[in-house]
Amino acid sequence: MSADLAAGSTEHRRTLVLTVPDWSAVAAATEHDLSPRTPLAVLSAGKVVAANAPARAAGIAVGNNKRAVGYRCPEAQVVAWDEDVDNKHFSAGVGALEELVARFTLLAPGTLAIPLDSLKHGYADEPSAVEALISALVSTTGWEFFPGIADTVFAAVLAAGQARRVEPGETGQFLAAQPISTLEYVGTGATELIDTFTQLGLRTLGDLAALDARDVNSRFGALGKHAHELATGVERTPLKDHVREERLNVELGLDTPTARSDTLGFLTRQLAADLLTKVRRRGLVCTQITIELFAVTGQSSNRTWRIEDMNENTIADRLRWQAEGWLAGGAHSGSAPAKNRSASARRDKEEPAPDQSGPDPEDFSEEGIIALGLVAAELTTPIGATRSLFDENTGQVTHTLERLQGLFGPDSVLVPGLQGGWDPAETNLWTPWQQAASPVRSPGAPWPGALHAPRPTTVERLPIDVLAVGGRSVGARPAGLESAPFTIRFPAGATEEIVDYSGSWPVESGWWDPERATYRTRLQVVTESGRALLLSKENGQWYLTGRYR
Amino acid sequence: MDVMSAVPLVEQLSREMGISTATALFDGPAPRTVDPVLAPMFRRGGLPRGEIVTLTGGQSLSCALATIAVATQEQKWCAGIGLGEPAVSSIADLGVDLDHFVNLVTPAEDWLRVASILIESFDVLVVDPGFLPSAGERARLLAKVRERKISFISLTSMPGSTEQITITDTQWSGMEHGHGRLRSCLVQVRSQTGTHRFLLPGPDGTPVEAPASTSAEGRFERPVIRSVS
Repeated sequence: MSADLAAGSTEHRRTLVLTVPDWSAVAAATEHDLSPRTPLAVLSAGKVVAANAPARAAGIAVGNNKRAVGYRCPEAQVVAWDEDVDNKHFSAGVGALEELVARFTLLAPGTLAIPLDSLKHGYADEPSAVEALISALVSTTGWEFFPGIADTVFAAVLAAGQARRVEPGETGQFLAAQPISTLEYVGTGATELIDTFTQLGLRTLGDLAALDARDVNSRFGALGKHAHELATGVERTPLKDHVREERLNVELGLDTPTARSDTLGFLTRQLAADLLTKVRRRGLVCTQITIELFAVTGQSSNRTWRIEDMNENTIADRLRWQAEGWLAGGAHSGSAPAKNRSASARRDKEEPAPDQSGPDPEDFSEEGIIALGLVAAELTTPIGATRSLFDENTGQVTHTLERLQGLFGPDSVLVPGLQGGWDPAETNLWTPWQQAASPVRSPGAPWPGALHAPRPTTVERLPIDVLAVGGRSVGARPAGLESAPFTIRFPAGATEEIVDYSGSWPVESGWWDPERATYRTRLQVVTESGRALLLSKENGQWYLTGRYR
Repeated sequence: MDVMSAVPLVEQLSREMGISTATALFDGPAPRTVDPVLAPMFRRGGLPRGEIVTLTGGQSLSCALATIAVATQEQKWCAGIGLGEPAVSSIADLGVDLDHFVNLVTPAEDWLRVASILIESFDVLVVDPGFLPSAGERARLLAKVRERKISFISLTSMPGSTEQITITDTQWSGMEHGHGRLRSCLVQVRSQTGTHRFLLPGPDGTPVEAPASTSAEGRFERPVIRSVS
């Protein structure tokens, strides 16, 4: 017994992995309310990534294209893969597990890992523990689970694919027999590595494990080293535990709606103190906070802020900014943005005599905010929230930028990010400093027809006219332009001659959804002054969409 | 006696703002590293610190972003003021580390106030000023730039700048009257160090040395075969 325990705690962690086969298909069926008997295939980038049992029985396999699916099973439902759907339904389902086990980790949607030593005290042996867990999960979720047990997480994931239990100490032999393509587990970056290994004649993980670790590292770098460790059954880092899905939040309804930021600030300080006390009582630290505001009209504003020194005052500041920006920009009349800004900059000093702060009227009796909510959006352990010694003067930078945000509003300080899209205007993702970026389009998805480098330096959207020699507007067709562009006329009336122009290329997107469907033609031109411009024609109107500056 | 009087002078000089050694007194702080293609534009082979550089003409924003790229990769913080909405994809193409770049969207008339706040902690500023500062404001800005040893790039010409870089000519290539697309731009730059030519952006978006034969413009993609004896 003691020897057994020692073996378990030194090198390997025996892990149970539960996986729902074809999770994407299961999630899509739930999302679209399809019966489990309907054949269903989930497509990503034109290839089947998951199919349910009836579809598999009809001959549909992972990797088929859409046409092949149609040939094999005409009545099959074809659904586009959606990461959100995958995650949403899975995290809803695993809620049941929180009651059953102390520690677990979500590896991917549809797959979760449980360290077996956490089950040791509750169950007699491994098979009985698995049986109890699976029967509980199946009865609450209705999904089919495949269990797999092995000495490492990677091996357990592979074992779960075959629904088998690898005896303690036999993980090495089990891994050695697996094909090299199982390294896909590492991620999309491994595809090239797998190809190279295959070309080198390494067909199984055993072949890879037989190589010297140092040679693999020097030839293939960190990724190769990682693959080698997986193949030999070495666990690199322990998995991070799933943080309890406790929603730590506080809410406050106001008796009378208000748009006054000093009132809101005062109320928020108390509310924030409540929330922070709740968080501290659990031994955690809150690093991101979601602020929700509800207006009388029923609209709500929801923003997530990352605050480095989270306390009542910093939270109150963020809420005030958010409220001011929202009320100024929203449908609420009476407060122009500029007026609001000057009011906010001076508000702190003028608090003793608010009635003299001219631009702000006494109260919006029928407009304003009726309820506040604060949610701890990201909780970590205190050690995870400390700043690294090697960050160069981020503290000062943060301080400077927060000062600017206080003066000019949160949206005045923007940090760049990239998301998916065809044109620079779509790939731009400017997010206010210290706010969580929320990309709308996945950068990982393919964007056929996306603009290549060199790309315009600045993004604009200015309706213009593009005229041919006779002064007629230039029409665009999928096959090309109807006539050669000759001049550009800007809305101010200025015209500029076009000296050279590119081939026009059409971009068609969202054709499967009439609401999102766009069709545009893109054109690059160089004008007589030597400037290069990116133009685009949508719905019969030419726009200047980018400048090369 | 002379020797005695020299010591306080050295001490006094070393206490002056920003002067720590005798070489610093003569050379100023070492310039920031820039892309080797762009280095010849600058008098000391890099982006000077504690001085104002003006960069004007076509493609000047691209040139400024390409200049600050190495600094951002070295974890220096850069900010842009008055640039409009830059395209993130092109910023990334030019080599700027997105984690160390911030764009300010503030009223054009407030640029001087914004710049004076940013000077406190940032290392490089790229500014397209909304208006030209008065002589007094300019003197204060210059003093602050010198004191904090930051690099200040202005996209409009500004009196008091020490280096003036002007892009005098831009020639785009790759578009053959409706049969191609923009591929690269050959720019001609005039600065205190003379006239330089290079591709900005080159075919992959980064600055590239100009091809040797300028007569073959528009055919840069053709491989050059050199004989090796």
